[in-house]
Amino acid sequence: MSDRRRVNGPAGTTLPPVFDDAVFEKLDTRNGRSRPPNATRKLFLKTGVTPSASGSAYLEIESSAKPGVSGLKLSCSVHGPRSLPRSAPFSPHIVLSTHVKYAPFATKQRRGYLRDPSERDLGIHLEAALRGAIIADRWPKSGVDIIISIIEGDQDRETSKLQGDEVWDMMNALSGCITVAAAALADAGIDCVDTVAGGVAALVQDAGDGSTPSIVVDPIPSEHEQILAACCVAYLPTRDEVTNLWFRGDLPASDLELYTSIVEHGIQASKNANRVLIDCLSGTVG
Amino acid sequence: MTTTATPTFAIPGQLLGPASRYQPGPGTHLHEFNLYASLLGQVQITQPARAPGPAKRLTKITPAPAPAELPTISVMPTQLASAALKKREVLPQVGNVVLCRVIRITPRQAVVAILVCGDTVLEAEWQGLIRVQDVRATEKDRVKIYESFRPGDIVRAEVISLGDQVNYYLSTTRNELGVISAVSEAGNTMVPISWKELMDPKTGLMELRKVAQPQ
Repeated sequence: MSDRRRVNGPAGTTLPPVFDDAVFEKLDTRNGRSRPPNATRKLFLKTGVTPSASGSAYLEIESSAKPGVSGLKLSCSVHGPRSLPRSAPFSPHIVLSTHVKYAPFATKQRRGYLRDPSERDLGIHLEAALRGAIIADRWPKSGVDIIISIIEGDQDRETSKLQGDEVWDMMNALSGCITVAAAALADAGIDCVDTVAGGVAALVQDAGDGSTPSIVVDPIPSEHEQILAACCVAYLPTRDEVTNLWFRGDLPASDLELYTSIVEHGIQASKNANRVLIDCLSGTVG
Repeated sequence: MTTTATPTFAIPGQLLGPASRYQPGPGTHLHEFNLYASLLGQVQITQPARAPGPAKRLTKITPAPAPAELPTISVMPTQLASAALKKREVLPQVGNVVLCRVIRITPRQAVVAILVCGDTVLEAEWQGLIRVQDVRATEKDRVKIYESFRPGDIVRAEVISLGDQVNYYLSTTRNELGVISAVSEAGNTMVPISWKELMDPKTGLMELRKVAQPQ
């Protein structure tokens, strides 16, 4: 149902007219990927940003060199452990509830104030990823709320609305959500078996339909001609376990090598994010 | 003795040492015979309490207390200057002695709010229940809740069960458990007279309570 209680702005962005001028001719150029295929973007992570929460963290992924492309900015707060509502049934474990919400201005397509199905989907994926990392039976009869606000959604504002598929952006957002939630959970002092971090890998086709696709980590959809498949992995490095795997795309079912190769690249990206996470956490105690 | 240095602080998932060297304490977990940290914080190693002198005389055969001899390793969340305000949340556990305030009473039970667990003041408010059969150890069938607790009393009680979805079940059957602070109907703080009576020092009136033994 649409949100009728607030005054909502227009759903899409309005762009000023661009006239066919010599100066603007090179505006719409796809400059391609500026990093090596196995390099992730730089990551900034900081814990303890929200004083009123039990634990909190902020994550920023740098935007690409192209102007006008925003990076990913996430803010996560953890509330709890706190008592369950009276209506909830007895639970011998901690009850995890995750909320992921795009800010209304985070993406090209303006978001509503209520959570839409894609945001709920992100929340469910995040919960699955964290459930494998939390030692749930340390906190019986209590609940913890993990709330993530996506402040900037990692989207190219210059490309038109029709270009690119939103779901590839959601994968990047999910991997950021997993990493920032793990940092906030550690900040809140909730028992975890390991620090979980997210990573994305994709199979991209850069030069026309006939060219051979290649695997890259941490893809930005606007830098590639076409993304054939992508996967987002939540990975525990010391346990060597994957807690959540989200795979999407069109691949020949016979080519198992390709599947495992993409997942392995995702794990590689997650290990990179984990290094930042561990650095950030040891900075707070050391 | 130690071959590898134990880290001073730990990150969730960090290896702390083999289970043959330490006992797991709070903030750690056991995985495949190794101890790992599960919290972010400082590593503490507590040596086991030494037995005071040699045992006098062995009158019975006891199993070798080998695992108890190991030092306990635990991870304590750091209390940084910025985090001084926020304390680590603790949960009431079975066997803990808690302080609580009576919210309402019914003929079958007293509903209380748990305020302090052990030595730590709780952030969240947890609800507890003292059933009529858990008020005292003797003459359980003659216990009347209104002769034991009144709303507003501060009670020291022991957690006996995690209870149902809402309440922890508490008990005041021991001598040192019961009402530790109460005000009379006239509004004055009362002093204990006996194990079941409190007196208002201003008016001299008695009121019935399950009184905790003063410590």
